[in-house]
Amino acid sequence: MNVLEIRNLTKTFGDFIAVDNMNLSVREGEIFGFLGANGAGKSTTINMISSLLRITKGEVRLLGKDIVKENKFAKMNIGIVPQDLAIYEEMTAYENVSFFAGLYGLRGSLLKERTEEALEFVGLGDKHKALPKSFSGGMKRRLNIACAIAHRPKLIIMDEPTVGIDPQSRNYILNSVKKLNQMGCSVIYTSHYMEEVEEICTRIAIVDHGKIIAEGTKEQLKSIITDTKETWIGVKNAERLDLDALKGIPGVNAVRMEEQSVKIISRGEINNLNWVIQQLIRDQVEISSVEEQAPNLETVFLTLTGRNLRD
Amino acid sequence: MEYWIMGNKAALLTYVIFVSYSAVRGSSPWEMLAYLSYLCVNMAIPILRKQRRFQLLGSVASAVLVALFAFRLNTIFILLLPVNLYEMVLLSGGRNRFALLLGLVPLLLIPVDEKLVYLLAASLSLLLYYGMRVHTEKLMKIGEEKETLRLDLQRLKLSLSMNEAYIRQSAYTIKLEERNRLSQRIHDEVGHAMAGALIQMEASRRLLGANPDKASELLGNAIAISREGLERIRLTLKDMKPRSEELGIHRLRLFADEFSANHAMKATVTHAGDLDAITPLQWKIIHENATEAVTNSLKYGGASAVEFEVRVLNRMIQSVVADNGKGADKIVKGLGIVGMEERAASAGGTVIVDGTKGFRVTTLLPFRKDE
Repeated sequence: MNVLEIRNLTKTFGDFIAVDNMNLSVREGEIFGFLGANGAGKSTTINMISSLLRITKGEVRLLGKDIVKENKFAKMNIGIVPQDLAIYEEMTAYENVSFFAGLYGLRGSLLKERTEEALEFVGLGDKHKALPKSFSGGMKRRLNIACAIAHRPKLIIMDEPTVGIDPQSRNYILNSVKKLNQMGCSVIYTSHYMEEVEEICTRIAIVDHGKIIAEGTKEQLKSIITDTKETWIGVKNAERLDLDALKGIPGVNAVRMEEQSVKIISRGEINNLNWVIQQLIRDQVEISSVEEQAPNLETVFLTLTGRNLRD
Repeated sequence: MEYWIMGNKAALLTYVIFVSYSAVRGSSPWEMLAYLSYLCVNMAIPILRKQRRFQLLGSVASAVLVALFAFRLNTIFILLLPVNLYEMVLLSGGRNRFALLLGLVPLLLIPVDEKLVYLLAASLSLLLYYGMRVHTEKLMKIGEEKETLRLDLQRLKLSLSMNEAYIRQSAYTIKLEERNRLSQRIHDEVGHAMAGALIQMEASRRLLGANPDKASELLGNAIAISREGLERIRLTLKDMKPRSEELGIHRLRLFADEFSANHAMKATVTHAGDLDAITPLQWKIIHENATEAVTNSLKYGGASAVEFEVRVLNRMIQSVVADNGKGADKIVKGLGIVGMEERAASAGGTVIVDGTKGFRVTTLLPFRKDE
């Protein structure tokens, strides 16, 4: 079952095309990542999904229902954590969450219960009465997440939720995304931090100039570029090396000697480093360094578009 | 939708009849005539469904009749008027607001105690009319959509069959070129060797009696030449692999060379990866997109150099045309870019146009490795 289905989605501002005939579907239980440079059209897409921007052309379906025609249904089932903080600094943390949850129609004891639950979830359970003014950037972000999840939406959209916050809060947020996902939420996550997307997303779309240029799991995306990885092993006494024995190790495609180091090219999905090192020890070779170069999503992006994710 | 109008009329007529009967004075023959003539005219409307003009005429006639009866016989007849008015608007394809106003006009002319009933009847009919209108418009829209989809399908089928024809054609061309090359080589190398050997053997036969030593030497030569010829045949056959990939990249090189010669722009071609993986159809797309992109560079870019790059990645073919011109902050999609996108899409690929550092058009085409 697809939680979200986007068909031929287009957004133009004058003659500038921000989102260009985009097609994609997010399946139930996925953490779907949008990876792209600044200005690639990620936020525009998200704003259209969450009905903040009018759709120029195409359609978006949430749980099979058109979000324009069934706008209320869509709003009830989407929770959005926008790129810019959307909390009231003068209201306490509790009031903020209960205000947003109230907008979704929660009332009375249910409202109270869900508000507390959401605050507890983001680790602000002891900060009910505190004003966001006194919060750090990360805590504000977490409060923002609490506001988005209190009404228990089916789909949570997080637009660059880790921009400008400390590493600790960042880890906390990444973990809570995983936890939300385990609780049955589907998540759309945008970022231009490749590491984050690689860590938490089950499926990823690489977006550039308003188009999806590649889509799939991170393994599939890397496999577009290459199926191999390179392992560089720095060695002191290379003459003892038994090259044929190295070539015989499963997964190894080629072995090349360079000065002071040996380069092993092997199939990407196989982890044979243990065997390689055992062989080197058997040959009584002195290892000075080991470095593995597998393609990451940044390389994929760079290779396909010719540009870096961050300028 | 006719059934709804008919139902509406029938219901109203029944009500009118019921009210007139239950009135104290009973029903006069004139009223009976009125009912029947109303029925006649209104039954004619759906029967004439093929001719809109007559339908409209019928509707107008019915409206006039109803108005007439209302003034001469019984004001209750006025209840039948709004349906006819809405029907007229619907048939003549007029505006909604119009219909609403038209329906309200008789309100001025009827007695106070019947105004309320009239209002009710008119608004119910209006509701029905609106519903029908929305319905009809939706149906028309769906019809139009169906039509555009059909046209799209036709266009796609056409381009598909054209592509298939192109594949067949290029396969044939490759075969033809290969055959020419093969016959050329057989003629040049094997043919000459065989002719040489034959001459030597002829000579040795003549010398066999007179000078056996010389004859045996010539025969040895002939054997050596034949052996060499055989070796050449083997080599030629071994070298026989079809060269679609060479054709593709050669054509691109040729294009780049011609381009540099004809314009004040340096064009270079680089390639990486296993070009064997590129099918003739994909080469066609790469060529056409490269031509298009370089035309753009020439027209708008103000560039002095352009670089063609064809790379075969693990699961994607990437063809880049990049110039060193001024680029563009904002890319406005013209026919050229749309054309490139359509071509790429026909092979399941995409085109990225980037104007941040010069102009750079990247065509990405996916391919399956096992093919």
